[in-house]
Amino acid sequence: MGPLVVYEHITQNTNLFFAFLIGIAFGFVLEGSGFSSSRKLAGQFYGYDTTVIKVFFTAAITAGLGLLLFGLFGWIDLDLIYINPYFKWSTIVGGMIMGAGFILGGFCPGTSFTGAAIGKLDAMVFIGGLLLGILIFTEGYPLFEGLYMAGNKGAPRVSEMMGISDGLFLLGLVLVAFGMFYVAEWAEKKFPLKEGTE
Amino acid sequence: MSEVTIPEFRKTRYFNPYVGGVLLGVVLLVAFYISGRGLGASGAIKSAVVAGVETLAPGHAENSKFYSEYTESHPNGPLKSWLVFEMLGVLIGGFISGAIHGRLKLQVEHSPKITSRKRLLFALAGGILFGLGSQLGRGCTSGSALTGMAVLSMGGFISMMFIFGTAYALAYFVRKLWI
Amino acid sequence: MKNTRVLLAIIYIPVAFILAFAPVKTNKPNILSSDELLEEVNSSVQFVSPDEVADRIIQKDPFIQLIDVRTPEEFEQFSLPGAINIPLSQLLAPEYKDLLNQSDYTNVLYSNGTVSASQAWLLARMNGYENNYVLTGGLNYWAETIMNPEKPASTNPNEEIARYNFRKGASQVLGGNVTASDDQAGSILAAPKPPIKKTGTKKKVQGGC
Repeated sequence: MGPLVVYEHITQNTNLFFAFLIGIAFGFVLEGSGFSSSRKLAGQFYGYDTTVIKVFFTAAITAGLGLLLFGLFGWIDLDLIYINPYFKWSTIVGGMIMGAGFILGGFCPGTSFTGAAIGKLDAMVFIGGLLLGILIFTEGYPLFEGLYMAGNKGAPRVSEMMGISDGLFLLGLVLVAFGMFYVAEWAEKKFPLKEGTE
Repeated sequence: MSEVTIPEFRKTRYFNPYVGGVLLGVVLLVAFYISGRGLGASGAIKSAVVAGVETLAPGHAENSKFYSEYTESHPNGPLKSWLVFEMLGVLIGGFISGAIHGRLKLQVEHSPKITSRKRLLFALAGGILFGLGSQLGRGCTSGSALTGMAVLSMGGFISMMFIFGTAYALAYFVRKLWI
Repeated sequence: MKNTRVLLAIIYIPVAFILAFAPVKTNKPNILSSDELLEEVNSSVQFVSPDEVADRIIQKDPFIQLIDVRTPEEFEQFSLPGAINIPLSQLLAPEYKDLLNQSDYTNVLYSNGTVSASQAWLLARMNGYENNYVLTGGLNYWAETIMNPEKPASTNPNEEIARYNFRKGASQVLGGNVTASDDQAGSILAAPKPPIKKTGTKKKVQGGC
């Protein structure tokens, strides 16, 4: 039964090796989908290229449906998978800062690695920026600690907080996602890049 | 008449985004099945920073609250972590894909309205902001937003909303960077 | 692209509908019905003998866990080696749930007699927890058999003599005569009480960014 490492079907070291393999697949799919290009990524916010939202949400609902299906068939123990914690204030403020970083830098950490892997200098510089930004946090930790630890809500699922079942929430998410895809395709036609397009 | 250039990213073929999304979702699912956790990225870079500081300034690391707390919770050392191994794989996977599709090229990608230099400066600024934000937010788009949404976590959705929301809000003001 | 989207929708939306209304499979423990519980009570599956417990302690079996269900005051005065204290009144508190609801350790509940321990066992079993047992006769019987074993006459069967010898040896290891003075009992029997650790959470995954 999954998760394999928790039920000790594989060792911790094998787990790390799988992390490496999973990373290769991750990088391959990201680069192949175009996430190694900052202009393509930024296109999401101007309408001329909505790859980001399509890939993102398709991946989220695929994995979400997959998890529930696996749980239904007893292939994975859903109680044991990691759910990231929710610290209200630091999540909100952190999200806003990241949003600014995204639109200015045109990358996020995962995509910057794929960009750097194919030779994009702006991606490499972005990574340099990441290192500095994190260093600012770790060195200035006493300043940030208050915000960082405030509003600890544990690690709730949205479905729990809304009082509905996971499956029902996921259904809602799937419907919303397809609605967004429809809008995204409309937007690409409506806001094309003024330069040449194919 | 202004020169009409075809941007770099339009000259090459990428996967159909829906197909890419399904593939990515499968990768994410496999990660959960094997390791009980989803993907991530910023954590690996944090590990690199911690490893760097501990190597270059060990005395400081012991005295500072953040590093000492980190060492306690990571007895195997910062670099022997799932995320670090994953990100090494990402570099290789990205490279392979780039190589197969003929996209390997040392370049600075920027909009024609700004210079390379300006692009790099903004990339640096963006990186710094994102780095700081990812620590406060306990994750970046891959880990918190993408993985978080797949497990329906509240933190994931809030993170996602604020990252994208802020980016949309600021997009108009920095549009020259991109279009 | 539009076609891919439509194709995806045709697959995903129905699947999502099915999952939304499918039964949720949880790993919550199997709550027993009254009949099942009665059956177990009648067949006395929940008891373990002091001999068996003593043996496992001496062998330093890492998977046995003694649980004293008496009050903290009684626990402080005397307890079996390696025992932890979960007073009966707090048995169902959330902090003890992982200790009682798990599959790695054999928990042996004990009290002075068997009443409190049996009550504790019933409560745990009702909630579907497994691997909890009751020490036959409790501490009173333990004192009689292990601590002060009755010397059999030399004409008794070998089995009984062997058992006596085992118990005599055990009592040496486990602290000897309960009626000894406070000093002796205190120093020998006050084995370091293991901190109550959450055995369940060792299965949790490390995650995070």
